[in-house]
Amino acid sequence: MAITTDSTLTETGHRPDPVGVYEQHRKELKRARLGQNILFFLLFFGLLVFSVVTSQFYPERLASAFPRIFEYFQTILPALEWDLLFEGRDENGRAVAGSLTYWYTDLPKYIELIWETILMAITGTLLGTAGALVLCFPGSRNLVRSSVVYFFARRFMEICRGVPEILIALVFVFAIGVGPLAGILAVAIHTAGALAKLFAEVNENVSQRPIDGIRGVGGNWFEQMRYGVLPQVLPNFVSYGLLRFEINVRASSIIGFVGAGGIGQELNRVISFYSDDRVLAVLILVVLTVTAIDLISERMRLYFIGKENI
Amino acid sequence: MATIRSLAAMTAEEVAAARASNPDAFGDSRRSLLVYGAWVITGIYLLWAFWYFDFAKLLEPSENAQRLLVALFRWEDMGSWQYANIYRGIAETLAMAFLGTFLASLVALIVGFLAARNIVRFGLWRHTVRRILDVFRGVDQLVWALVFVRAVGLGPLAGVLAIFISDIGTLSKLYSEAIENIDRKQVEGIKSTGAGPVRTIRFGILPQVFPVFLSQSLYFLESNTRSATILGIVGAGGIGMIIIERFRATLYDQVLFVVINVLILVAIIDWVSKFIRMKFIGEQRD
Repeated sequence: MAITTDSTLTETGHRPDPVGVYEQHRKELKRARLGQNILFFLLFFGLLVFSVVTSQFYPERLASAFPRIFEYFQTILPALEWDLLFEGRDENGRAVAGSLTYWYTDLPKYIELIWETILMAITGTLLGTAGALVLCFPGSRNLVRSSVVYFFARRFMEICRGVPEILIALVFVFAIGVGPLAGILAVAIHTAGALAKLFAEVNENVSQRPIDGIRGVGGNWFEQMRYGVLPQVLPNFVSYGLLRFEINVRASSIIGFVGAGGIGQELNRVISFYSDDRVLAVLILVVLTVTAIDLISERMRLYFIGKENI
Repeated sequence: MATIRSLAAMTAEEVAAARASNPDAFGDSRRSLLVYGAWVITGIYLLWAFWYFDFAKLLEPSENAQRLLVALFRWEDMGSWQYANIYRGIAETLAMAFLGTFLASLVALIVGFLAARNIVRFGLWRHTVRRILDVFRGVDQLVWALVFVRAVGLGPLAGVLAIFISDIGTLSKLYSEAIENIDRKQVEGIKSTGAGPVRTIRFGILPQVFPVFLSQSLYFLESNTRSATILGIVGAGGIGMIIIERFRATLYDQVLFVVINVLILVAIIDWVSKFIRMKFIGEQRD
């Protein structure tokens, strides 16, 4: 509408200058927003200054820290030599310095710990998903009539996912001792909270009709959930579960920092006590494992969603 | 099939005919076998995992666990809790998260363009940038923190650097994806007026992607505040250092108090960033 009037006006020449009008309008808009923008800029700048001062992020500290960062990265590089690269162990069972075998002397130990990490992630994800499956139905607005049940289910989820895994692990390590069990429980609790929230959001978007249908033939609440809701949401749940598994592999690989099992324990030990090529050796293995699992899980996720959508 | 009758009244032929005409309604025996198979395997795996990881330990009464539970909820000597220290730690956490996210966003603003398919046509260069970003992202923030603590010493500087490096990886990737999804028409419009590459980016691309950038950075500010709380566990500054120190000193009541405070801080940041997104970016739901 406005465009038609504008063009007729310009054509007939009643309108002085379209560019002038545009600039005028722009100026007005800018003026209206000026106060707000200044306020937000000041707030932002204030926060920035506060952050720089609190974390002592000063140029001279940075300047002295910067070379040290590069020095550190140089010390963790392995001293490999091309002609000895694939040299095995000699008759005494000792690896030749400069070979890959020498760099990865502890490989069997690393592999064992990575295997433990993956098992921790699988077990934690399975238990957490089971917990989320129980929690998500009472935590969906449209599926429960009692607002008290809804309120407590929601708060419980928030507590579970609000506390970082590593803190839960710290508590469990103290309560039940050092080892992977503490890590699994921490991962499971955090997963239950995080997945339950996502599951509940999926639940809140389901079609009401299948539920009404099940209720119509006399199904109780559990049957309504099992036959009315679950078939609608299951592909999404599987996809979220797999996504969470990827996150949990990462989490399990560092949860050992507080003694809760997995490769994290070794990573922490190696970084804290040594400053040599062992650090890089473990880091490379961890990154490779995490990337490989991400790729596999992504394939599976696409398979599940793709199949159910056709 | 004209009339609906009770299932018991149907003859075997009628059932077979119904099965043949509506195969989907009856379920596939092969498929259900697959589903049951998956359940059985999961069940066996879980039983094995319970044995392997010694879940029976949970059933034994643990003195430590009892002590911990009691100590967590019985708050004593609240006057001597050194609140100044605690709140300085929380402020430090917020500062680390803010500075790390802000600096990473600045760098990602440039790197995001360098890694976008429609900006940099030279494939080799783009792939190199992306693989470097993968490394930044692939190593966990906590590991970066541990490495920087070794390199620059204990304190918040290591935490800021850890957040900065790992966020460059993630934010640049998200930014470059946003740039790849822009509308070409505006860019062509700007180009047709004779604008050079810098002005094309400034007036053709930036207005389209800036709201997305801002929104993603706000999400990361929130998630970094969460993760900055645990960076202190490896000595990289912030409230985590206080948490681990109080935990080791068996002051569990204070640990719970600090954790509750952190949760409140995260909730406030969540609320503020939701407000900013709604007001300035016009997002209806998050």
